[in-house]
Amino acid sequence: MYITDLKAISSQLTYKEEFLKGELVAYDDKVYNVIEPDYIEFIPKGLLRRMGKAVRMGVGTGLPLVKENNDIDAIIMGTANGGLEDCIKFLNQIVEYDEGVLTPTNFVQSTPNAVAGQLALMGQCKGYNTTYTNGGLAFENALLDGLLLFQQGACSKILLGGIEEISDYNYNIDSLVNKYKETAVKNSELIDATTPGTVCGEGACMFIMERNPKNYYAKIEDVGQITYPNKEDLAYCMDEMLKRNKLNRSDIDTVMLGLNGDINHNDWYTHVSEDLLPEANTLSFKNLIGDYRTCTSFAVWLAAHLLKGNTEFIETIQIRKSHSKKISRILIYNHFDAVRHGFILLSA
Amino acid sequence: MEKVYVTGIGIISAIGNNTDANHHSLLNAQSGIGKAKYFNSKYTSSLNFGEVDLSNDDLKRITNSSHQKGLSRTTLLAYSAFQQAIDHAKLDPAELSSFRTGFISSSTVGGMCNTDELYADANLKEEPSEFVRSYGGGEHTLRLIEKYGIKGFTSTINTACSSSANAIMLGARLIKSGRLDRVIVGGADSLAKYTVNGFNSLMILSENPCKPFDIHRDGLTLGEGAGYLVLEGESTCKNKMKLAEVLGYGNANDAHHPSATSDEAHGPRMAMERALASCKLPSDSIDYVNAHGTGTPNNDSTEMFAFHKTFGAIPPFNSTKSYTGHTLAASGAVEAIHSIISLCNMELYPSLNCAEPISDYNASPIREFKKLNNMKIVMSNSFGFGGSCTSLIFSKV
Amino acid sequence: MSQSREELKLELKKHIVEYLNLLEIKPEDIKDDVPLFGPELELDSIDSVEMIVLLDREYEIKITNPTEGRKILVDVNTIVDYILENKK
Repeated sequence: MYITDLKAISSQLTYKEEFLKGELVAYDDKVYNVIEPDYIEFIPKGLLRRMGKAVRMGVGTGLPLVKENNDIDAIIMGTANGGLEDCIKFLNQIVEYDEGVLTPTNFVQSTPNAVAGQLALMGQCKGYNTTYTNGGLAFENALLDGLLLFQQGACSKILLGGIEEISDYNYNIDSLVNKYKETAVKNSELIDATTPGTVCGEGACMFIMERNPKNYYAKIEDVGQITYPNKEDLAYCMDEMLKRNKLNRSDIDTVMLGLNGDINHNDWYTHVSEDLLPEANTLSFKNLIGDYRTCTSFAVWLAAHLLKGNTEFIETIQIRKSHSKKISRILIYNHFDAVRHGFILLSA
Repeated sequence: MEKVYVTGIGIISAIGNNTDANHHSLLNAQSGIGKAKYFNSKYTSSLNFGEVDLSNDDLKRITNSSHQKGLSRTTLLAYSAFQQAIDHAKLDPAELSSFRTGFISSSTVGGMCNTDELYADANLKEEPSEFVRSYGGGEHTLRLIEKYGIKGFTSTINTACSSSANAIMLGARLIKSGRLDRVIVGGADSLAKYTVNGFNSLMILSENPCKPFDIHRDGLTLGEGAGYLVLEGESTCKNKMKLAEVLGYGNANDAHHPSATSDEAHGPRMAMERALASCKLPSDSIDYVNAHGTGTPNNDSTEMFAFHKTFGAIPPFNSTKSYTGHTLAASGAVEAIHSIISLCNMELYPSLNCAEPISDYNASPIREFKKLNNMKIVMSNSFGFGGSCTSLIFSKV
Repeated sequence: MSQSREELKLELKKHIVEYLNLLEIKPEDIKDDVPLFGPELELDSIDSVEMIVLLDREYEIKITNPTEGRKILVDVNTIVDYILENKK
């Protein structure tokens, strides 16, 4: 499965790719909001007016790809929470109007498969279409589904993405379980933070995946995942994925870690980078965009550019540089709350 | 490629708390739709629901989870059906915790059935409620993974009403790909103010028990439930009892409107055609169809049109939503299980509340109980908001 | 104080823009006799339900089904007529 096109809305200047030239947006906050394009320039007003943020971001990144590729035969999305802003608007209506006469738009737009449905409608794509809502592995699930579709010869071009929005809903609820930092953190200091909690991020990253293209950014080789593992299970999961692809640990020249500044969860990342892959270049990504359940979609966006040779931004995410190695195979390792753990393997 | 078999099923719905009870109700044309006893909403006096006849305390008792805090009704329903399925398939703890055993669930409501607590937590009104960690669609999946020590591939799907049908389809594909030996698939949804008010705001709920395929139908009846199937590859379940084979499956997107099917029924037709193509079967090999049949004016007429275009002669069909109501994400699995019950017993159950069927296509739903001794192949349809349409085909073993 | 028909029309148009979240359209831009569900505004079935909610919340007018709604929700004039006839 090869990435042949990609688009990202994030808290960095990724939509028009100024970020790739090294332009970095600094944050000193507990919440890193996205930088959005001017949607009205390319999303029909009649549709845009209904869209909550998640759907806007999903369509904002997906629609340009749909327009460039009129032969998409599958759409697969990963979003843990869907349209939360619309969800809470509808919820508030239920309580405030005591289950009386309520407006339906919020309900319809809050459903997690609204993005996949909207993109299918706008692109008139009647192929396979599904949405994964599996928390911190929703995007990994989407990738695996894509790999299976290609393996089974079921299609030749897939639109695949990860979306998550910040709204009062997830921020408040996640705050109640102490997910976030108590005070603002500079993103340049996030990875080295020694306090509990992380910062809240959001974003949408979309990819065109093809089976046998001539030109591409990167190859997605495989995906691995495990929930509630111990450290042995985690290593086993990683090794099984490598074995499946006839690889060893030494074949991984670069590991991209989901370090998020939460001191309580660093040990998993230390285990992978020091114990399992001590020779690899080590990169981060959450210092750019904060943490959210489908943020490995952004990690894939970064990795794809790195593997294509766009490395100007690498200083912003380099944690450990190992001598001599060129970046040709990247393993992304991430966990969410140390419960759901995922691996994504990419190569040049 | 490995054949995929169903080796266990577990179900809890308005027509029974287990498979035998569901079968008994279907056999006796006994609907489970009526006034809700446990669900709390302004609409419980005016609307009908397909409610599971157990309180949350009852569910905690039967699932041995009275000591656990923060379990939503969705999770409790899922616990019940999941335990039944793995018992039925006789899976031992080693098999459940194998890296080659997966679990794919689905839900639309998830923990949002605790609407009042969700409102309070989301708006930071009070101290965190006991449900503060349980709201997400994938949270019930986590509870089951933790409870049973599942280490293989796990996922949660939300494509509205086709969710658990898509879970079944993905599970079969994972086994055929060689990544898994076995996978438990299905979904759970409970009655919730969120969905009741959501569907009501779209004006697609009926005030009366739903009348699928009747010319006077005027909307759907909401239900709740959970259904799980244990799927195993042929080489894994050699000596096991097999209920059915997962023969084929197809998914398509209608690409027309967020909450209505196109008049041409592109999505439903393509889903059924792809399911048939996936197992290289002609349409006349289908002996029975468990329709999506929600009882809304739009769904039933477009689904019948889709039948007309897909089948030369429309096979016997019914909507078991006339028994259970629309169980949303769980409906794919609940109705797959009803189809398998039909298939294993070679029985066709009547579609209820259809006094005056739609007459456009020279076919009407099954009107009375019938034995069908040569029943071999059945189809089950699920069409959801966002245009997601899935069709599954099961065959007798 | 009762509203004049003109005041009511403008107020209704403001509500329409707000409830339907119409982008780049000012209330004054909506003409009184342009069909709401015609090609100018491109409203659809979800909007008709939103309009029913608008009439309930702002004018305490209850329309119980979309079919009845379609007869009333033709253009600003027909809606204002209905409000004036039925407002409590």
